[in-house]
Amino acid sequence: MRQFILWICGGSKIDRRYLVVLGLIALVTIGLPLLGLGSLASSPLGLDGFQVNMVGQVMAFALLAMAHDLVWGYAGYLSLGHGLFFAVGGYLIGMHMIKLSYVGETGVPTFLDYMGLTEFPAYWSGFEYFGYAFLAVIVLSALVSFLIGFLAFRSRVVGVYFSILSQAFVYVVMLVMSRNDTGFGGNNGIADFQTLFGFSLGSIEFRVAIATISALILMIALIGLRRLTTGPLGKLLVGIRDDEDRLQVLGYETLWVKTGIWCLSAMLAAIAGLLYVPQIQVASPQLLSPIFSIEIAVWVAIGGRGYLYGAIIGAILVNVVKFWLTRFMPELWPFILTGSVLFVVVVLRNGLMDPGPLFTRAKFLMSWRAKKEKV
Amino acid sequence: MHRQYLDMLSAIVIACSLMFVTVSNALAQPILEPWDRFEIVKVWCSGEREARIISFQSLLEDVVDADAPAQQWAANLIGEYRDGNFRCARDTVYIPNDEQFLDVITGDRFKAIPDDAEKPFLNIPLRRALAPFASAVQLVAAEAPEERLLAAQGLARTLGDVSPALIESIYRQEKDMQVAAALEDVLVPAWLKSGDTDAQLKAISTLASNYTRTSRAALDKFLDQKTENVSEAVRTAAESARSSVHWVVQLSEVMTVAYHGLSYGSVLFLAALGLAIIFGLMGVINLAQAEFVMLGAYATWFVQEALRALAPGLLEYYLFIAIPFAFLVPALVGAFMEWSIVRHLYSRPLLTLLATWAVSLLLINLVRVTVGTQNLSFFTPEYLKSGFTVFGEFSITWSRLLSIFFAGITLIGTLFVIYRTRFGLRMRATTQHRQMAGCVGVSTRRTDAMAFAFGSGLAGIAGLALSTIYNVNPTMGTSLIIDSFIVVVVGGVGSVLGTALAALGIGQLNAIIEPQYGAVASKVLVLLAVILFIQQKPNGLFPRKGRR
Repeated sequence: MRQFILWICGGSKIDRRYLVVLGLIALVTIGLPLLGLGSLASSPLGLDGFQVNMVGQVMAFALLAMAHDLVWGYAGYLSLGHGLFFAVGGYLIGMHMIKLSYVGETGVPTFLDYMGLTEFPAYWSGFEYFGYAFLAVIVLSALVSFLIGFLAFRSRVVGVYFSILSQAFVYVVMLVMSRNDTGFGGNNGIADFQTLFGFSLGSIEFRVAIATISALILMIALIGLRRLTTGPLGKLLVGIRDDEDRLQVLGYETLWVKTGIWCLSAMLAAIAGLLYVPQIQVASPQLLSPIFSIEIAVWVAIGGRGYLYGAIIGAILVNVVKFWLTRFMPELWPFILTGSVLFVVVVLRNGLMDPGPLFTRAKFLMSWRAKKEKV
Repeated sequence: MHRQYLDMLSAIVIACSLMFVTVSNALAQPILEPWDRFEIVKVWCSGEREARIISFQSLLEDVVDADAPAQQWAANLIGEYRDGNFRCARDTVYIPNDEQFLDVITGDRFKAIPDDAEKPFLNIPLRRALAPFASAVQLVAAEAPEERLLAAQGLARTLGDVSPALIESIYRQEKDMQVAAALEDVLVPAWLKSGDTDAQLKAISTLASNYTRTSRAALDKFLDQKTENVSEAVRTAAESARSSVHWVVQLSEVMTVAYHGLSYGSVLFLAALGLAIIFGLMGVINLAQAEFVMLGAYATWFVQEALRALAPGLLEYYLFIAIPFAFLVPALVGAFMEWSIVRHLYSRPLLTLLATWAVSLLLINLVRVTVGTQNLSFFTPEYLKSGFTVFGEFSITWSRLLSIFFAGITLIGTLFVIYRTRFGLRMRATTQHRQMAGCVGVSTRRTDAMAFAFGSGLAGIAGLALSTIYNVNPTMGTSLIIDSFIVVVVGGVGSVLGTALAALGIGQLNAIIEPQYGAVASKVLVLLAVILFIQQKPNGLFPRKGRR
């Protein structure tokens, strides 16, 4: 048993906080079908479709945040453009669902009809098969991230430069996708999805299923990344973050390590998008808005960088508050977000997972005050 | 109320009353027999489209030979008809006039008109056919050269069904040079078609004196026709005219693109300069910089509103009065932001990025809550309204020139501050080597704070310059920040001249791509170009010298 837990923890030590978060996700994975579908569903504890949906979306966001943390918390590169990969997954699964509803039928969705097309363009072919769509998600996100990452890392774009450059990418892609003649529905995006795997998207069965799958994938990804980051590669990444020049002098080719981890993160983000879009039933340029991409970084900053589970906590906390506030007090949300970002960045600079700075600051203030009183 | 307003108001009142007097006098005098008048307005009110056009034609032909009062009557009648002022009753037409109604047939005035009097329906093809006739009648009837010029220009847009021979006879009697020149433009197509060598040569010389795209197109069309009745002399004249027009048109197109590029580049420069200075000094990208641009524009608006309420006489010059406010408001906000947030984060630039983003979100939402999300309306002073044509189709608008002017002044002012003041000296020292500067007694923290405020103020000036050409609303800055960051990257960190050059270059690139491929394509291509540029020159055009 201890062996198994150690294997999950991926190091020689047992990390309690990590195990608690992992346990929570496992609880969600088991609890969702129990509370959403079975006889418990109608009990006071049961979840309705909206609540299940919310949990599922938060799980997808948590996966996205974790992918972001892999790059920021470990390799030290702050991406402000992870929405790009999220949108790759989202748009491609959207294409799959559109294609599914047109199997055996002639005609095209309105947004293609609008462009004067009477049948699907060539790049839509094959999207009626989920396997192909999934492969496309992985390959396309890897390709896009490789291009950006390789070009950026090769010319030693670092720090703030890298952040804004990634933001510029997501911004430009948003502009392109907002155009009607790009062929993806312009500002409205693609919607009107009917089914996935034979389930109707609105049915409670589907909602519970996709939320559970999201939680499951989040759990698997957390264990996998935990083992990855506690291993030699993780040490290498932290080395890159803290002193890249020294690593290079020692003979490591950091370019490939960075590009590789960047691509891995992008693929995870794309999978998160793939899980997210069937739940909100629309893939629109909203996913590509620079503000959303910055928000991803905010989740990670609030939760705490470099822990993986910190990112998950941050994503869950921020999004639960956001869901709740935008329902009851939409005007207040931007101010709360601003306030919490400033609080975390200035006072709690390593995020919620490391309350240390709060105490040292308080201690410092108290000692300073004491000194002043003495004088 | 202020005197200026009273003057304007009284001028308007006088102008209006004059207009009504002329209208009513002209329409009130019986010229044609009432029966004829009734025939005309009856067709205009309810006739078929063809019948109405024939009626316009016959009216025009009658008007040419009629006496002055009759011409006036006809011009007013067709003008009122075009402007939709007809109220067709069973046996006459009324026109609203000076809070009364004028019967166009008898010239009597009424307080009220029958309920069944209704506006005749003018559909778009009919309006199009009517416009040249209205202009032609106006051309014949109007006394003032300005009015005739306006009418001739209207005819130059389209001659419609008006017969060129008639215009030609008017042209021969025209005394005013300007009106005659405008009429030549109207007559060119007819002259070219006429087959008469003299007329064709005249048409070609008219076209050759107009360096516009339409005149080039007319010459092209003429040269493409393989008609037999074109003599050799006419053909060579047309060819030489075409080449000279073509050359000037092309030059003016290039100049227009260059001017637009210069104007966009100057806006980019203004927005990016503060960013470049702050980034060069502290390695911090201020994502709220674009919101300081917005604050500058809002400060300008508040100054305008304050002037409107307190000193309307100075309203004309609000753009210049607002300069210190547009600088100081963002500078103070920037100084507060530096003191409260940024200085705690100097060793962590990535977190500063997030913190400044949070501030930008806060500023946007504060403005949204307090002022609202709508676009602000700015008063455009008289001296900014128009522009002038340099040559061909290349014209310069004052409002764009003003933003270029602001950019130039800002560039000179910033260079002065950096190279000729103690503050600039300290700033340069800190930028080059922070520790060393600290060792020799420069208070680097204070320099940082002042530079941050200075850079924020510069963004406010950008907002002032933008207010005349862009929409001003809380989210106006969001698209600006990425563009200005790209300018900073290309220019080289902390280099004022590099920023200026990069802004101009990117502005030009934008102006060249945008008209042909659209705004989105230009953004995409500029980003790709910048990425390729970074591959070659990772530190920008003017890399920073000095050790770190």
